[in-house]
Amino acid sequence: MKDIKQIIKGIDKLNPIPQVANKVMALAEDPDSSMSQISEIISYDQALTANVLKACNSAYFGLPKKVDSVHQAIVYLGMDQVVDLVLLGSGASNFKTKQEGYDLDPGELWKYSVASAILARELAEKKGSEKTHMIFTASLLKDIGKVVLNQYVADSFEKIQFLVSKHGFTFREAEKAVIGIDHAELGGMVAKKWEFPSQMVTLIENHHLHEEPGRGDFENCIIYLADTLCMMMGIGVGSDGLAYRFHKEALDFLGLTQVDVQEIIAGFGEKLSQVEDLISIH
Amino acid sequence: MKSKFLDKERELTVKIVVGVADMKVSNDPESMIITYSLGSCIGISIYDSVARVGGLLHYMLPESSIDPVKAEKNPYMFADKGIPLLFKAAYQLGAKKQRVRIVVAGGAQILDQQGFFNIGKRNHMAMRKMFWKNNVMVNYEDVGGNVNRTMKLAVKDGQSWLKVSGKGEFEV
Repeated sequence: MKDIKQIIKGIDKLNPIPQVANKVMALAEDPDSSMSQISEIISYDQALTANVLKACNSAYFGLPKKVDSVHQAIVYLGMDQVVDLVLLGSGASNFKTKQEGYDLDPGELWKYSVASAILARELAEKKGSEKTHMIFTASLLKDIGKVVLNQYVADSFEKIQFLVSKHGFTFREAEKAVIGIDHAELGGMVAKKWEFPSQMVTLIENHHLHEEPGRGDFENCIIYLADTLCMMMGIGVGSDGLAYRFHKEALDFLGLTQVDVQEIIAGFGEKLSQVEDLISIH
Repeated sequence: MKSKFLDKERELTVKIVVGVADMKVSNDPESMIITYSLGSCIGISIYDSVARVGGLLHYMLPESSIDPVKAEKNPYMFADKGIPLLFKAAYQLGAKKQRVRIVVAGGAQILDQQGFFNIGKRNHMAMRKMFWKNNVMVNYEDVGGNVNRTMKLAVKDGQSWLKVSGKGEFEV
């Protein structure tokens, strides 16, 4: 077991999510907010605006005309997309480094995070969710704990791997058993520290659905499913491989059959190269 | 093994990357065909040492009947459409069925992923069924489990490597 307090202190080394992202997300979820309010807040932050515009003009969206203001971006892409782009622009910095413990090259964890966030959002929309931004953000940041835990996983990798390959542990369970804390738990702590809403803290903490109540929670099931499908598609998968548990209850809860799952994979597989294009911007 | 590969990589200059739901063949001896991160997907590499032709397919799903429109657009997404095209493309460069060495990797699963949801296993079964019907033998296979895999094939001599999460890289 490692010194847990020391590990938790590592959270302070992360680049905090800019306040503007929290504000934009809160406004986006507020039915009384207006487009101009959101557009104004984004426009105050030059770097963020530049990032959003760059993403809008990428091949991912394939717009016929160059967008050169946040207001225009909202007109062309809609509020929801622009809010997601703000969140993407705010989250990138922590995820882009190499994660030796998880055997992920620079950018791979980010690619995985963006892909699962996009897929989660798509699934949420298909199912008529009203909390698409929360789902998108929680999905995007769910593995932030890996960034904090990375070095400790690298140090204890053999022990973790032994529990996974010989004793049927999931990678998360093995992290907890060997190090004393796992990446999901740490992710929840990061979310708390960043003052995210309590539901988002829970979603990040339980993104592998190891806590049973999550298997009956719509947002939690969507985030879990998107994560699971990305793993199956091999997107940004590292040394932890696919060593997480399958919870069919989550699919039953969402009313999805194995045919639906294959259709989702086929649909998303087609978009992967566009997603890569979007990722290269941030 | 790793150093051997690295030596090889320096020597071979053209890297041909096979994406997800993609297929590439080559007879350029300078090239290395690679596919990353297979997950539940399956990678099949074939190599004819006489014609010095290599090919690699990375498919995602077993059957195209799930979405015939997508299959039309991208047949490499599915085992039943992609596998015949891999062989045909290699034959066009001079490869012969009876000479090809076949390496298969991928088809991993999430823990406890049973039955129809086990797409990794179904991907593997779809391939086995087709190979069995067509009298095709696999020379090396590293399939299933909960690991992630990367495949590499040197077109010059058919030397192949696998990188498996938790195990590292080795020659096959």
